[in-house]
Amino acid sequence: MSNTQPAPVTSERTPLRARKVSFAWEKTPLHWVPGDPFTTHTINVLHLLLPAGERWFIHVYRQVLPYIHDEQLRQDVIGFIGQEAVHSQAHDDVLPRLRELGLDPTPYTAQVDWFFEKLLGDRTLPPGRARTWWLMERVALISAIEHYTAFLGDWVLNADALDRRGADPMMLDLLRWHGAEEVEHRSVAFEVFMHVDGGYRRRARTWATAFSTLVFLWQRGIRFFMENDPSLLNGKGSVKEFYLGGKRGTLPATGDLLRSVPRYLSRGYHPSQEGSTAQAIDYLAHSPAATAAEARMTGTS
Amino acid sequence: MPLPLPRLRTVVLVAGAALLTKRALRRRIRSSPLWPLPALEEPVSGHAERRTTATRRLLITERTTPAEGVVQLRLKGSGLPAWQPGAHLDLLLPSGLVRQYSLCGDPADPDTYTIATRLVEDGRGGSREVHERLREGEEVEIRDPRNRFPLAEAPAYLFVAGGIGITPILPMLRSVAASGADWRLLYGGRSRASMPFLDEIEKLDAEGGRVTVVAEDEAGHPDAAAALAATAPGTAVHCCGPEPLMDAVRAALPPGRTLHLERFTAAAASSAGSAPFEVELRRLGRTVQVPADRSVLAAVRDELPYVSYSCEQGFCGTCRQRVLEGEIDHRDELLTDSERDDSMLICVSRCRGERLVLDL
Repeated sequence: MSNTQPAPVTSERTPLRARKVSFAWEKTPLHWVPGDPFTTHTINVLHLLLPAGERWFIHVYRQVLPYIHDEQLRQDVIGFIGQEAVHSQAHDDVLPRLRELGLDPTPYTAQVDWFFEKLLGDRTLPPGRARTWWLMERVALISAIEHYTAFLGDWVLNADALDRRGADPMMLDLLRWHGAEEVEHRSVAFEVFMHVDGGYRRRARTWATAFSTLVFLWQRGIRFFMENDPSLLNGKGSVKEFYLGGKRGTLPATGDLLRSVPRYLSRGYHPSQEGSTAQAIDYLAHSPAATAAEARMTGTS
Repeated sequence: MPLPLPRLRTVVLVAGAALLTKRALRRRIRSSPLWPLPALEEPVSGHAERRTTATRRLLITERTTPAEGVVQLRLKGSGLPAWQPGAHLDLLLPSGLVRQYSLCGDPADPDTYTIATRLVEDGRGGSREVHERLREGEEVEIRDPRNRFPLAEAPAYLFVAGGIGITPILPMLRSVAASGADWRLLYGGRSRASMPFLDEIEKLDAEGGRVTVVAEDEAGHPDAAAALAATAPGTAVHCCGPEPLMDAVRAALPPGRTLHLERFTAAAASSAGSAPFEVELRRLGRTVQVPADRSVLAAVRDELPYVSYSCEQGFCGTCRQRVLEGEIDHRDELLTDSERDDSMLICVSRCRGERLVLDL
């Protein structure tokens, strides 16, 4: 055991609660980053993965609640699952719009649904060690995935290139509201994992699984969208395009991404060391969706 | 030491095999994007029937007053989702209030939704805001229609409407009148001047005898029992109006008739403000009391501190629990009708009777 301990930055902690957002999609065009189908579809993969993925997070966390014996962490988890639930709903509600635009995502999402609900589901396991092992494995996977979502959330809050290129404001607000909440709650999944298990071998194993799975799902997702985009003949994606998108700032820079990924394995890693809660809260204070949600909460009698 | 060069035949074989594999893979991935994963038979993502988070902005093209204290709005969009008689939409008011209004226009018009609202003087502010703040030429936000009150298939129909409860009934009348089915309408209200759509209803009843209009200032309350007694077995009874009217219809329903009620449920989720009841936690083998001023969630948490929940306002869905027995008073805005049959959001929903049994 190394004597380096995860060091949380306490000033980054904030109380978590779900916001009752809504978005109007009828004006969002197919290529919501104008003239850039590759960027559009690379980011669109989020809408394919998150509805099923975040439903699965909640499914797992409902089971892990009894293992949490720290009142503050339990409050964080309760806020976390509400935020994740609304994220899942909000991305899910983009899918009918894609269908309207001639890009039916169902062939892909039905497989992602199977992936999260069956392959990563509860399975028929005897109560006791096997069942606990599988629960802990999934808790660790979520912690690793949240490392990447926090990275993406921080990136999108700072992706000014998307504004400069005239990206659809409604879609940007969805991504940034979501990104900001990911930054807000970026420590929760890691702290849950450290609280209920925290084993380094499990952390490393699930980090590798999560990363390679995400690469697989993303690559296939981009390919699916590019091939089925009704406005593209012979649409294709490539690593080179991804790299160039990173250079332009419309996608995460490949270098940043590669540097960020292994930081999760550092013994002193704590998610609060990366990203800025203040920036996230500032965005949420101005986000059209989040401010309307606020009005709705105070408006209900 | 120089590497031995592979023989030409080996190179050709390997390259050929690689090419075939690539083509086979491409073909498979084209028809199954995440090959080799299978698909879930009934896809969930993108096919949800729960309340959507997506909204739509429509233009108020016309604001009229079809009766005293009633405002009718025509909301224009383009290529709006189709709806059937009985459907309602959520109106997201500028103040943040959300209210549900039945569609009373023509389902065949793909560009317009029409709603009508009555000003409720002592209400919670939704209708007042519609009456005072929404003007022609302004945009208003809605959520797409849903239908909790569909028109049943039946050989004969009795419609019972009280006041503004006529709004979901009106498109039903048009549809039933056009199909030539046998129908009757009992329509009650405070006074003729305050009852909307009387002209159109009388036109639908061109030969006369189908419609009974009862204005309270002329003839008191409508006699639901007499209207029900006059129905033939197999008649579908659709009723929308104030709670006492719906209770009267429910009480007087003769056997062999089906009853379809439209409730104006509290759109704003609030857990408190009703009678106390008890909740049995079947698997735990305990029963908890839910006083009028507490939620089911709060009462359950006393026994089960690990029960999951989050928003406590009925929109995130994480506190959903299976209900084994008892009549649920749904106050959330999220669940689909089939989910409502056997589950509830315990943070806001309550019990219509005295006892619920949860699968906890």
